[in-house]
Amino acid sequence: MKRYPVVLGVTAAGLAGVLGFHSHSGTVAIGGTSLGAGNAPSSNHSSHTGPSNTRTPATTPTTSPSSTGASGSTTAATGRLEQYGYGQLSVRVTMSGGKITNVAVATLQTAESYSQQLAAQVIPILQREVLSAQSAQINGLSGATYTSEAYAYSVQSALDKLPK
Amino acid sequence: MSAVTSPGGGRLHGGVGSGERSREIVHVEHVMGTAVSIHLRLGTGSQEPSSTVGAALERACAELHGADGLFSTWKPESPMSMLRRGLLSPDEVPDEIGQVLDLCAYVRDLSSGWFDPWAMPGGVDPTGIVKGWAVERALGALRVRDVAAASVNAGGDVAVFGEPAEGTRWRIGVRHPWRPDALACVLLVDDAVATSGTYERGPHLVDPRTGGPRACAASASVVGPSLALADGMATALAVGGDEVLERLAELPRYEGYLVRTDGTEIWTPGMPFDE
Repeated sequence: MKRYPVVLGVTAAGLAGVLGFHSHSGTVAIGGTSLGAGNAPSSNHSSHTGPSNTRTPATTPTTSPSSTGASGSTTAATGRLEQYGYGQLSVRVTMSGGKITNVAVATLQTAESYSQQLAAQVIPILQREVLSAQSAQINGLSGATYTSEAYAYSVQSALDKLPK
Repeated sequence: MSAVTSPGGGRLHGGVGSGERSREIVHVEHVMGTAVSIHLRLGTGSQEPSSTVGAALERACAELHGADGLFSTWKPESPMSMLRRGLLSPDEVPDEIGQVLDLCAYVRDLSSGWFDPWAMPGGVDPTGIVKGWAVERALGALRVRDVAAASVNAGGDVAVFGEPAEGTRWRIGVRHPWRPDALACVLLVDDAVATSGTYERGPHLVDPRTGGPRACAASASVVGPSLALADGMATALAVGGDEVLERLAELPRYEGYLVRTDGTEIWTPGMPFDE
């Protein structure tokens, strides 16, 4: 299911610091949400039968980070930075109804080359994504509102620079 | 070169010469806390910007600044701010505020309450619709002789008319929620598209049911005839997710596209993707 099966082992200490018990160690997929020994609730996406189309991307997480369990409240905690092979990392764990519903990498500090390599691998792949906006022959860009300052770095700003 | 004076201090590119691009004018106006990009294509026979075009561009920019002056919740002296603080009654504010609040109530009902300016902390806040409303009016000002096609893009909310080049439709990219330089998809747009998400300005989306921050979408886009309505519904879609998409599926001439926070995608059947 994963196009980029990048999996890092996380030390037991890292998770124990968050979860408060010591017998548990897990395998965390960076940027994803699968936990080796977790109790993930069933996805609330799979049963959708509305008048819409849906798909699951290549990097399917098993839970939604914002999902709330049917019983009990949702709490989240971020562990302290832990050393791993290429730098430092901290893990954010979300619990709902006494079960772990999400594990995500909260902080990732790596050497530059690894950082870029990892950043390229954790982002979900969208069905129609176009990685080079500049080559897409578009007339305009729709997106979340950028500030006047951020405009200078936007694709729209590039589109606004007509050749003389 | 350009015979048009810049209404708001922005830059104008316009040129006389050969080639399709020379009949385009681009103007960028900084207003409403964002940059508004206006693209015009002059009609056949209008080889250089006419005074008609220049006046239309000035009116378009005036519409944007007018809306900012009326509705800005950042400006304490705006009628909207004074209404929020109780310094003006609903009877005392300009008619435009009543019109926008009526539109807000309509979109609140359409979205099953997922867009609700009356549930915002700090009092009624129509910001989620004002930009789309203002851009529609600005685009209206550009519908003059000599302008064959135009687009107005206010920080990501886009309204268009005409054909960007003879025989073509507007190709509008939807920004990839996790890659600033990439696109989630390309849409063929004839009227308007609005997109909402938290990747530019942080968690500003509010759940009308709790008053707290909430977003169940990484990116939510709505296409349709009215940018004001699309703007409000895109905000609702970003907060309410699948439920709002169901409402959009029932709404004639409007389509929705949602990228959930986990990267899964869902859309209404008529979404005009450029496949």
